Amino acid sequence: MIEARIELPLARFPLRVDLELGRGVTALMGPSGAGKTSLLEAMAGLRRGARGRIVLEGERWLDSDAGLRLAPNRRRVGYVPQDAGLFPHLSVRGNVRFGLRDEAAAESAIETLEIRDLLDRYPASLSGGERQRVALARALATRPRLLLLDEPLASLDVALRQRVLPYLVRIRDRWQVPCLYVTHNVGEALAVAERLVLLQDGTVQADGRPSDLLAVPGVSREAEAGLENLLAGRIAAHDAEAGVTRIDLADGPAMSVPYSPDRKVGEGVTLSVRAEDVLVAVQNPSGLSARNVMAARITAVERTGTDVTLHCKLEEWDRSPTWFARVTPAAVSALGLAAGTRVWLAVKSHSVRMV
Amino acid sequence: MAALSTLLLLPLGIAAALALARFRGPGKGALETLLSLPLVLPPTAVGLLLLELLARRGPLGGWLHARGIEVVFTWKAVVVATAVMSFPLLVRSARTAFEEVDPRLVGIARTLGCGAWAAFFRVTLPLAWRGVLAGTILAFSRALGEFGATVMIAGNIPGRTRTLALAIFHDNQIGRDDRAMVLAGVTIVLAFTALWLTEWITRRRARTVEP
Repeated sequence: MIEARIELPLARFPLRVDLELGRGVTALMGPSGAGKTSLLEAMAGLRRGARGRIVLEGERWLDSDAGLRLAPNRRRVGYVPQDAGLFPHLSVRGNVRFGLRDEAAAESAIETLEIRDLLDRYPASLSGGERQRVALARALATRPRLLLLDEPLASLDVALRQRVLPYLVRIRDRWQVPCLYVTHNVGEALAVAERLVLLQDGTVQADGRPSDLLAVPGVSREAEAGLENLLAGRIAAHDAEAGVTRIDLADGPAMSVPYSPDRKVGEGVTLSVRAEDVLVAVQNPSGLSARNVMAARITAVERTGTDVTLHCKLEEWDRSPTWFARVTPAAVSALGLAAGTRVWLAVKSHSVRMV
Repeated sequence: MAALSTLLLLPLGIAAALALARFRGPGKGALETLLSLPLVLPPTAVGLLLLELLARRGPLGGWLHARGIEVVFTWKAVVVATAVMSFPLLVRSARTAFEEVDPRLVGIARTLGCGAWAAFFRVTLPLAWRGVLAGTILAFSRALGEFGATVMIAGNIPGRTRTLALAIFHDNQIGRDDRAMVLAGVTIVLAFTALWLTEWITRRRARTVEP
């Protein structure tokens, strides 16, 4: 059992959470920037600014009133970040044994995640799914008392997710430790979690059994609403007359956002476009008010709860990130959307936010 | 001498580079500029400042003299002068290397049971060692060639404070250009090797970073 009462100032709002976690998996959902990753980092002891009280089975990890903060290396948490965070200079074996507590734990982790054949390879040569499995094994080899998984499947495509998901279920069943599991995917939450916590603007909005909560109209949408396209770019020009600021994307075309003269030309920025704000057309649209239209190709169609998420790559950009567009199942069948379909993605300037 | 000064420099330089790479806050720019100053100042000016500081009447020199340590016009002065002059080269190169190390990897190492020191030696340093080594080689070659600051604070005493760079100047002044040429040849070989090694290391680093 772990009790966590945490306060942590973030850029836009403070994170204020009071949670009690038992054994089993608790899914943590909510929009990007709601504070999910910050909460995990605070639990792991990686956020010095965190105040409050964290107690795991009677052992105090954090007690601001008593001026106590246990160093991250003494907490024994298994933390797996979104991109696996493997050490590039170490082999898979070196990674898994990095925090080794006892041989049996490492052996059991290697077996559970079926990575024995990968032990002599280096992270650079692993596929996305293999990296996630190695990262999970590395965390398990320390015999953690709390597992913190930050979207362990988010960077994988749909087919790979289906292959890695059973490993997570296996971890849940074999390692009886409390686990906080950040995800944007309702299906994942239903598959692995016994409990769901919905975080919004730093506070808990809903807490309960996933099947109950996700049946509540609106919650499912809110839980998944977090899917955002994050795009790196640079301010190219301000056009007061047109009312827009133009931004050159690092791996995409120029985008128009609402006029924001406070940013300097040349300054690097990150743009955020919510997946539900991306319009999808099967013909090159004309006479559209949306200022940003891009040719793309669908790489995957994923059913997520009540909606469908399209994964797309921009056609003219070799290094295009995956663009997510959320549409209804009705739109999918009406437009005949499938992997390989050529589409045009349209985004209104006002749907693009600078973060 | 150059080797000794580089050796003394290494821990200091790494500490400074790490601090500059991680530290964010007011005064960072000023500190950076200050540390880089010896790169652009006339070496004689740096030498003069060091001389004032370390002379028997100087603030630091007086303290050392009281404890029986003489620096000025001894081999120790050569070490100090070359160290100060080559310090920024090491710091700049090492700092870039440290900045390239993802701080989140260090955080992960901490959750895996590493204390701050262990995380540095097991993650940060192994990921940045090429940059640190390249900086060390550069600093070493700078130390070899240092002239201005050395001559100010250590003088040019045969067999005691006469460095390679000083010897070339001396031989030329007394008309022994043949000997000066041989010494110049030695410096060319040393400098070429050092630079080429640095290039090679940096290129390999560029290749290993991209999977």
